[in-house]
Amino acid sequence: MDFGKSLAERLLLAFSLFLLAFRPAPAQKVVRYDLYVKDTTVNFTGKLKRAIAVNGQIPMPTLTFTEGDTAEIYVHNELNEETSLHWHGLFLPNRYDGVPNLTQMPIKPYTTHLYRFPIIQSGTHWYHSHTGLQEQLGMYGSLILHKKKEPVIPTVPVMLSEWTDMNPKNIHRLLHNASDWFAIKKGTTQSYSEAIRQGYLKTKVVNEWKRMNAMDVSDVYYSQFLINGKNESQLSQFKAGDRVRLRISNGGASTYFWLTYAGGKMTVVANDGNEVEPVEVDRLIIAVSETYDVIVTIPAGNADARPTAYEFLVTSEDRTRSASLYLGEGVKQLASPLPKLHYFEGMKMMNGMMKMNGNLDDRGMNMSLNQMDMNVVMYPEITGPVNGKTTLMGGISPENEHAHQNRYNSNALSAITTLNYAMLKSPVKTSLPKNAPTKELRFVLTGNMNRYVWSLDNRVVSETDKILIQKGETVRMVIYNNSMMRHPMHLHGHDFRVLNGQGEQAPLKNVIDIMPMETDTLEFAATESGDWFFHCHILYHMMSGMGRVFSYENSPPNPEIPNPKRARRKLFADDRAFHFMAENDFATNGNDGQAMLQNTRWSVGTEWRLGYNDHHGYETETHIGRYLGKMQWLMPFIGFDWRYRKMGMDEVERNLFGQQNTKDKRAVFSAGINYTLPMLVVAQAEVFTDGNVRLQLERMDIPVSKRLRMSLMANTDKEYMAGFRYILTKNSGVSAHYDSDMGFGVGFTLNY
Amino acid sequence: MLLLASFLSQAAIKNAVTEQVKIPGDCSQCKEGIEAAAFQKNTSEASWDVSTKVASITYDPKKTSVDAILKKMALAGYDNQQYLAPDDAFAKLPDCCRTARAGKKDALVAKNAPAHQPESVPVSPVETAGSDPLKPVLAAYFSVKDALVNSDGKAASTQAAVLVKAIKAVKMGQLSAEQHTVWMKVMNDLGLDAEHIEETKEVGHQRDHFTSLSENMYKLIKAGKPSETVYYQHCPMFNDGKGANWLSKIPAVKNPYYGAQMLSCGKTTETIK
Repeated sequence: MDFGKSLAERLLLAFSLFLLAFRPAPAQKVVRYDLYVKDTTVNFTGKLKRAIAVNGQIPMPTLTFTEGDTAEIYVHNELNEETSLHWHGLFLPNRYDGVPNLTQMPIKPYTTHLYRFPIIQSGTHWYHSHTGLQEQLGMYGSLILHKKKEPVIPTVPVMLSEWTDMNPKNIHRLLHNASDWFAIKKGTTQSYSEAIRQGYLKTKVVNEWKRMNAMDVSDVYYSQFLINGKNESQLSQFKAGDRVRLRISNGGASTYFWLTYAGGKMTVVANDGNEVEPVEVDRLIIAVSETYDVIVTIPAGNADARPTAYEFLVTSEDRTRSASLYLGEGVKQLASPLPKLHYFEGMKMMNGMMKMNGNLDDRGMNMSLNQMDMNVVMYPEITGPVNGKTTLMGGISPENEHAHQNRYNSNALSAITTLNYAMLKSPVKTSLPKNAPTKELRFVLTGNMNRYVWSLDNRVVSETDKILIQKGETVRMVIYNNSMMRHPMHLHGHDFRVLNGQGEQAPLKNVIDIMPMETDTLEFAATESGDWFFHCHILYHMMSGMGRVFSYENSPPNPEIPNPKRARRKLFADDRAFHFMAENDFATNGNDGQAMLQNTRWSVGTEWRLGYNDHHGYETETHIGRYLGKMQWLMPFIGFDWRYRKMGMDEVERNLFGQQNTKDKRAVFSAGINYTLPMLVVAQAEVFTDGNVRLQLERMDIPVSKRLRMSLMANTDKEYMAGFRYILTKNSGVSAHYDSDMGFGVGFTLNY
Repeated sequence: MLLLASFLSQAAIKNAVTEQVKIPGDCSQCKEGIEAAAFQKNTSEASWDVSTKVASITYDPKKTSVDAILKKMALAGYDNQQYLAPDDAFAKLPDCCRTARAGKKDALVAKNAPAHQPESVPVSPVETAGSDPLKPVLAAYFSVKDALVNSDGKAASTQAAVLVKAIKAVKMGQLSAEQHTVWMKVMNDLGLDAEHIEETKEVGHQRDHFTSLSENMYKLIKAGKPSETVYYQHCPMFNDGKGANWLSKIPAVKNPYYGAQMLSCGKTTETIK
């Protein structure tokens, strides 16, 4: 792989900059970086793929400043597309925040853009592209801000990320089309046959009755996880007895990581660039876009022992893969790998929480701050090995009050100490001015996994106005997560206090992970001006519109935005985008297929059935509909049907209502509604311009086994269909089906 | 026939390269474990010899590396020149494969290892009693229990030795009147059970003694006020359905009578504060 400096060289650079920091710095030192953004090819999996490198490297170079410096960063865009860079966690003038179409116009291809701002804070931060899905392609890097007097301890920037050979745009499209390809790759289809084999058939049926698809802890399958651009690496410069500070940033686009260490406990000393009182833990999970500073010790051993390196193990939340950094020289002491998740226990837990109307019910547990982790039911290391009959849930009787209260409290259930937000305490008072007026805002995080719609209060960015705030006031946010996924919510340009029971020493953060059913309260002092983005940092959720803009009233116009109306339209274009899908079954009895364009609310779809002769006929149905309601179970539509078929002499079809239908040639408009029933059956009622009425029930893609899907359909035109499809690859499968019009057929399916 | 078989297996792995690596171990069970860890269809396989302790690893260098195969062996519990096994994987090995850990920093690892092990208590036999004279006894008891949870007969034996010493070191004068009475009744049995656990490395036999040891510990702890909360837990299955009890520091069930087979079988029947 050829992208520039090796890790060792980069570290050397980081160290030398670190040493520079000890020199008495002149006031107002200007530190300049030139960043060249350029297409590159990488090979993380054995295949060459396109990526984006900055100064020839992935991750982007580590930028180091000292509090009091002025940063001058020249971004040279050598891509054939727009770009931007956001300085994550930094306090800076709004025009340099780096959100295209909000705080600046995008950096056009082959132009240079200057970001110039004073460094007024310290700590571990990072930077990344805020344009489209570029972050997934390699545009993330560490941003280390030193104090004027930095404590003397060896320090290593640790940038976590993930890699997939798939084009991120294609990932985004597949997610919106409810493709289960990622589940197949991860082995998490949770099909009926797997449910039966593991004794969870009832769980699976209840799950579908409540209109849920298979649950998972993350959306995307990745082929590799990386620490500073490598899956495995060793830092041999450290010796037994050394203490090392890891400045860890999660630059993954959608992956949370578990952090564990083979050399004993880790001491957490900072979070999101803000110091916390040291807390010892066995493990922690780092949310997408969070940073943690962790001190680890390389254990000192017997004099005669071989030199040993200790594994710092980074495991994706879905536990499909991991990455390793070995600290020290010599033989490598491995950490225990995290055991596979127990998905059906998770499904059972989800069933218990999900009400029939799609809302979540926390059963009065008042969850917050990651203290109660519902996912522990899936963690064999906490709740025992995978076996439906003897897990903790079955073992402890419900009348055991103490056990019941702690059912999801990982730290009470085991001797493994897992960090949660309630354990973070600022070493200094962080209270806000008491006399400032307070504005309280309430948000509900909402989502729809089946259609991949993610929103706040069921509205996406383009459907809402900016939220106006005033300089000088305290803004308090109470956020409840009513969706089925966890969300790392990030506020630009400000740190907020997390009200976690530590009183005046509440910790300061700029990202907070909110798990399903949790409520968290945050507050920040409105001290800036301009427009600041507040959004879910899972890249694909953000691009689907999960965010808001906080706008200071009476801000001076932003010189970077010459035409605010045009910028706004371009910003909204992100979540308004339509996603295309198409499939066709080339079968012995005809062609059967559909094509669809969908966005947050709208769906334009055409289905076709094309026989090979006039007797089998040709027909297409086109529907344009709008999804209504939070769960989007209801979709009214208008449509157009066209059919041609050669039937026998004077032969006429009648439907169940006795209405006649000469199918030979028919072109009619229609109006109707779709409604998703329990068991994910879609009921359709349609009235045509010739007065005919049709009712239909359809269930697509029942997961029979890992790769086998079954579909069923019947309607009042006495048409029916039953079919099986076996998924071969992301884009193909083989099928067998029986159709009342076209008879039995087997075929080959292509889908996009 | 043997030749043919080896030819076939060679044929399955393309670009085959073979290397020799030393892996410690003393019995045929290790052979199975080591070879299973190295095996990946059409990619890699190993053949380990118990007398020479040498594994001959055959692999396709386009698909994997010796380093990756050694990592898999270590994850299965087998220390080697490149990797040391995670402590829990090592603890699960059969006795005869758990040879002295070369290069392993024993003293420290004992303290640092617990990151992934249930309920570890730093144990020191000469710990001063402080306010609760029974604290070292209880701590040693918990260590024995943890060893049994891990089905680790060797560790159980080592920890039982600590327990024997701790029992002998109890200064009766410091006990409350109530505890003193119970102590006089159970002292001998406690010592006997602990010694039996120490004498063997056979987990089944250790568990038999652990049932009566636990009964007596329960009586003793209940007679006083433990310095930290203790959970009295019950597994109805052990001993042909007669059931068995144990004490734990955490409310979660980690069953010492079956280990990994049925780790969370059981429930808390009493909380002693």
